[in-house]
Amino acid sequence: MWKEVPLKKPGSWPPGVRLPIIISVHHQSEEACVMLPDGQVDPRDYYERQYGGRRGAWRLLEIMSKHNVLGTWIICGATCEKYPDVSREVIKLGHSIAGHGYAHEAPSDLLPHQELEVMRKTVRVFEDMMGHHLRGWRTCAKSHVTLDLLLEHFDFQWDASVWNDDLPYLIEGYGRSFMEVPFSVYSDAAYSKAAGNLQQINRFNTWEWNTPDVVAQIMRDQFDALYERGAEQAVLMPMTVHDFITGRPSRAKLFDDFLTYAKQHEGVVFTTHDEVRKWWLANYQRDGLHGA
Amino acid sequence: MPVSERVAMVSNGKDSMAKEVKLELKERWPQGVRLPVLLTFEHQSGEAAPNRPGDRPNANYYGQMEYGARRGIWHILELLERFGIRGTFFVSGQTAEKFPDAVRAAHEAGHEIAGMGYAFEKVRTASREREQAIVRRTVKVLSETSGAAIKGWRVPDYRISPQTFDVLAAEGFRWDSTMLNDDLPYRLDCQHGALIEIPFTTSTTDKSYVAFPYPMRGGPSGMASAWHNEFDVLYAESDRVPRFFMLSLTTWASGRPTPLRMLRKFLERITAHNDIKFARCSDFAEWCDGAAVSNT
Repeated sequence: MWKEVPLKKPGSWPPGVRLPIIISVHHQSEEACVMLPDGQVDPRDYYERQYGGRRGAWRLLEIMSKHNVLGTWIICGATCEKYPDVSREVIKLGHSIAGHGYAHEAPSDLLPHQELEVMRKTVRVFEDMMGHHLRGWRTCAKSHVTLDLLLEHFDFQWDASVWNDDLPYLIEGYGRSFMEVPFSVYSDAAYSKAAGNLQQINRFNTWEWNTPDVVAQIMRDQFDALYERGAEQAVLMPMTVHDFITGRPSRAKLFDDFLTYAKQHEGVVFTTHDEVRKWWLANYQRDGLHGA
Repeated sequence: MPVSERVAMVSNGKDSMAKEVKLELKERWPQGVRLPVLLTFEHQSGEAAPNRPGDRPNANYYGQMEYGARRGIWHILELLERFGIRGTFFVSGQTAEKFPDAVRAAHEAGHEIAGMGYAFEKVRTASREREQAIVRRTVKVLSETSGAAIKGWRVPDYRISPQTFDVLAAEGFRWDSTMLNDDLPYRLDCQHGALIEIPFTTSTTDKSYVAFPYPMRGGPSGMASAWHNEFDVLYAESDRVPRFFMLSLTTWASGRPTPLRMLRKFLERITAHNDIKFARCSDFAEWCDGAAVSNT
């Protein structure tokens, strides 16, 4: 059991910050690959996603470094094990990391004790391989007990699993608290590549729905709307990209172009979940609501 | 053994049937080439059409793809000739039987003819015997119709079986282009020989962009934009690291006038670079040869 802690008056960002953007890079490579009707892994989808770990993640890291921006890397335990150099570089460069299940399990299909085991296993991988204590989490598909498990059994500082709000909020329970940093459907996956379970074996391709230009336009539309609104009230732009989608050259170009576009605007700050948590916590401290 | 373990073993190089070996590639390819460009076309005439539910044939799809053999390939051959470009055609055995003239013309124009199944068979769970029979039958048909020596292969639905590469190596193939997992070629060491794997991407292919059903919003110009972006990024990266650009299209989707015009404009733009070089897959595999280093 947990409860939200509402602010007494609207929160704000540090002076000069008009639009914080958190790029969430999903680095899960082949872990989320499609299962065929006979219960076996689809080798085509498996290898197509593997591109993310082998190449895509590096291309995205390179582009972000070129623009001197940080973000949050959403990493599965198994992906960290298979491509440890990527995680090591992510940590070295100072990006935030969220655990994202061990093998991209969907907790909505798991029993609570199984979900907890997935969380523990993932946390252990980062401890053992990277010497990194995970501070954040993003579920692959939220269950009704995800937040309870995170609060009760771990010491996470933030979670970014929920789609229900514009701005972060603190939740308390089990004698602990963390910042929930909601995100949205504005993602390269939602607009360009069908989610695994929607993909039909008889379709021609895994690239569906929108050409890259259209996806780029949608991202810019989201930016424009939030930047405008950011003049009036606190806003936050979550932006989700995947190593095996946006890491492809044709799409990476548009990601690169987006960063160029966004950076031309005064008050745009590319940030991480760790930093956003700290900033938003200051609003709770201002209201005397949090033990600081 | 579940496929999940099998595919993991291929990628980890532990599978005795196909071990991935990294190639020691240089930033410049032979002859000072900065970026090799591989134009490839899958060529079917209806046998690739996915069935309707209940495994009933789908005449709509069939006709859409038959266009490639009746018209599309001829338009493409004409375009390539105009640019003096030699590419690679992945041909189904059945298509070569039904429409031999175009396949022969492609070979005579200097394009490479590679195999892509006899009747678009899915081999993911096929026995070694069946897979071998499909490869042999396809090679026989393709070489008899076109006069070409068949050295390359693509698995029709891109879903390999554990023995696919070893079957190809045993049949004397030189290269394969089925994998979707890399920017660079690599070698596959199999029990019965070795193959150069030339990975490609579906992110720039035409089927999902312009074909029925579910063409992507954005259409042919959106597709062309993806090609240009892909080229620009790989061209820029090839200044620092080895890269190659491979476009995998179909004669039935890109052979139509609208995508074909996009292709012409794309070729007009990239041929302005004098440090790119168009190559057939076999030429490219040749360049990769000798660059193998053991990753153990």
